[in-house]
Formats: sequence, C-alpha cells, structure tokens
Amino acid sequence: MCDLFALSANRDYSAPKSLPIFAEQAGKNLDGWGIGYFRNHHAYVEKSAKGIFVAGRLHDSFQRLARVVKSRIIICHVRLRTSGLIDECHAHPFVLEFGGYEWIFAHNGKAPAIESYKSSGIPMKEAVSDSARAFEFLRDHLTQHFQHSSDVASIFNALSCCISEMIVRYPGKYNFFLSNGQILFVFTNHRQFMLLKASKKLEGALLITTVEKGLSDEKWLRLAKSTSRGGMLLAISGTDIIVRQPL
Amino acid sequence: MMCDIFAISAGYNYTPQKYLPLFAEKSRHNINGWGIGFFREDQAFVEKSDEQVFSNQQVHESFQRLARVIDSRIIISHVNCPKSGSRHLSHKHPLMLSFLDHTWLFAQVGIVEGIENYETVQEPRLEISVYTARIFEYLRDQLIIAHDRNPYISLFAALRLGIKNLLSEYPGYFAFFLVNESVLFAFYNFRSLSILKKSEKMGDVLLITSIRKGLSQNNWQTIVPEDPSKGKLMVIAGPDVLYAADV
Repeated sequence: MCDLFALSANRDYSAPKSLPIFAEQAGKNLDGWGIGYFRNHHAYVEKSAKGIFVAGRLHDSFQRLARVVKSRIIICHVRLRTSGLIDECHAHPFVLEFGGYEWIFAHNGKAPAIESYKSSGIPMKEAVSDSARAFEFLRDHLTQHFQHSSDVASIFNALSCCISEMIVRYPGKYNFFLSNGQILFVFTNHRQFMLLKASKKLEGALLITTVEKGLSDEKWLRLAKSTSRGGMLLAISGTDIIVRQPL
Repeated sequence: MMCDIFAISAGYNYTPQKYLPLFAEKSRHNINGWGIGFFREDQAFVEKSDEQVFSNQQVHESFQRLARVIDSRIIISHVNCPKSGSRHLSHKHPLMLSFLDHTWLFAQVGIVEGIENYETVQEPRLEISVYTARIFEYLRDQLIIAHDRNPYISLFAALRLGIKNLLSEYPGYFAFFLVNESVLFAFYNFRSLSILKKSEKMGDVLLITSIRKGLSQNNWQTIVPEDPSKGKLMVIAGPDVLYAADV
C-alpha cells in the first residue's frame, strides 16, 4: 500500500533526515513518489513515476529535494498503485485551488467506489484514480462551505461533515493529508498514523507517517480510529495538535 | 463602561492601518491606556501606553503610527476602561508569557471572582498585581499540566479543560484572546463578540472584537454565548474559524 509522511513546524523546515528514512521504510512502494510544500502561500509539488528506492539506492532527485525543500508544512507520498495509471499525473500529492487557498492533498488507501464521482467543479482530467476523485469531492464540498457559510462557521466541522458524507456515499479506506499551508488536516479510517514531536534523532518538528513503526526508535504515538467510530480527524498547526476529534 | 478587545488574524503579515484606528475610535470612552500585541518573525512584541487611545477627536499618535507599521499575521489590542484599576503601564494588556514552545499574548475583559488570590506553581510569574495576570497564569498552568499528562493532547481540549476548571474555581464573566504566532483562541461567556471576514488585496482577514456591532458598517456577525455558565471557545487560524465549541 502507499505510504504518507508529513512534517509540520512553526517555521520553515527541511527534512533531510526523516524523508530519506521514510523513503527507505516505504521502499516497497514502487510506483512513484511526490513531495508537496508551500512557499509564499503557494503550493508546489515535485513528483515522479519512478520507484523511490531501487536496488538499495534512493532516487537521486528525491534525495536532493529532501535536503533542499524548506517549508512549514511538507507532505510526501510514495505510491503502490491500486487505482489509476503509473505515471507522473497519478503520483501524489495533488494541488487544487479553492476557498482562497492552494491546497495540497495526498491519500493512502483504497476507495474504488469514489472513482465514479463526477465533480461539480473543474475535474482533474489527467488523473483517473480514487485519490483524485476524493480530492475533488472534498474540494467541491468545502467550496460550498467557503461560499455559503457564515463567518463563524468552523472549517474543521465543514471538513468533518464532508468526510462523513464521502464515507457514507463512497465507502472505502481513506488516510489522507490535506493542507492549505496554515493547517495540516489529517484523516484516518484504516491502518494508522504514527506521530512524533521534538525528535532528538530526526527533525524537531512534528512528524507524522503511516509507516507502522515510525521512522526512528523513539516513542512514536500511534493514532488510529477506535473500532466504534468512522474515523479520526486532526488539525495541526506548527508542532501542535489544535483539534482532534473522532468522526 | 468596559474595557474592549480587538484581534485580527490573517494568512499573511497584515498591516492594520484601517481597523486599529477604527477600534480606537469606537473605544474612545476607555481612557485608561491601551496596548497592542503582535508577532515579528515568530517573536511576540507588545506596545503599551497609559494615555487615552482617543482624545480631541484624534486617535493617539503612537497608536496610529503603530497601526501603519505593524506587519503581523495575528494582532491583538486592548483598551482599558476606568474601572479596570491601576493606571500603571505594566498593568496594561496584552500580557506576555512563554510556555509550551511558544510566546503567548493574552488580553481580557470582564471579571473573575477571587482570582487575585491565585498563586502560580510555574515560572516565570507575572510580577504585577492585576487579576488578568492571575487568569493568564492560571490558564498557562492548566495548559502545562494537561501537556505534562499527555504531550499529544490537542491545544483546544487542554484549554477548554483549563477554562472549565477556572470557571469552577473562580466563577466569572469574561472574554479573552490568547494567541501565539500561529493561532488565536477566543473565549467569551458574557457580552457578545462581533466577527467579520473581510477580503483584502493580499487575501482574507478575520476581525473579532468585543465592540458591539463591530467597527464598521459591514455585516459583522454578532456571537453570543448560548450558555453563559459555560461560555464558548473558538480557535482561529488565518482568516478562518478553525473550530468552536461550548466549554
């Protein structure tokens, strides 16, 4: 299955230690990789359809990007295809602009039901996968929130509602990162996320990944939905979890 | 006559040359001084004065100049009413404390019974004898205790618990802003807060104040606590209400 990694910090940060370890741990994911980050309020993505770790060696560009990319929020995805073609267009993260922000989205899981979703907005025609449709679904529903809700309506609640609706209408396995450069939203309804703050061995930012044992031998916190709930949603700003709520 | 508070939150560094003077003008009856808190490269700064914020039909000169020069994602301001006790400059809000890897600013209006007797167990202490300092210390202590118990507790949950404890130990009717370089927490269980999301050239900003009906002719939304015995806590990130819930 694909794997996810994100770094969130109070200031611009690079991840030269944890990104290569993540790539190595997620080495079975042969079908592409991508790194998303923010610079001057704009979202940028570098991605490739090539394996991230081949013949015991990390992809050259990935290694260099790990040293150079600098952002308050960095999102990385390595892909083992379950939906869509193996090409750069289908590698995550994806970027869409709505609600006054550029958003970065990366997904891990399997949700074939959502492949039939027809967006009411501009579709990402180049990507034919469950992840692209899930991002469009979230974009379409959050756009309504930004257009029609009052100034005091909570964006966390809006996202929570639209994820609930997505899961009911298109059941599936969804783990994802969604960020507008200010907040990193994290959702899980399968597998787990491993979380670490103030690492002594890696970067001192907040680190979060789907890799089962984390990326170091430090005490990573396991986050997973409880069996009685539909999922768990977090909002992270800098190195702090601001809101954490089951769905 | 009561003290008043005002805050601006944006997704980019914002210069409050329009709204801070409007706040001063609307608070013209508060004659016991003023304060402005803001962030520069994630460092917190406070500028205060014991002079009137508005006199002879003019906004205080320094206040006006600061409004033109400050450039910060989050800005908070407080004007003192004659009832608020001391005229000493150090007693003006916002107050500043560093804890949990942030420098926090705090500004408050209203009354909390008996809190002046609270003795903090943490360092540093705010060496001023005003009850706002004790409220700030109390909330700081509560946040630290919650994080010592669970380093991954959400800030919202920790602060909500702290306010709950505060209200049960020291009942009161008050509103406050507690901010770090990334997020703004607003609590209120009396009066109302007025809130407005406004489009500016660089992007949206969110304005929030205790001034009834807001600062301008725009459609300010008035929010009142549904249950004054509990009050409401909201967290604002950039120009959006991220999350809000009863305490």
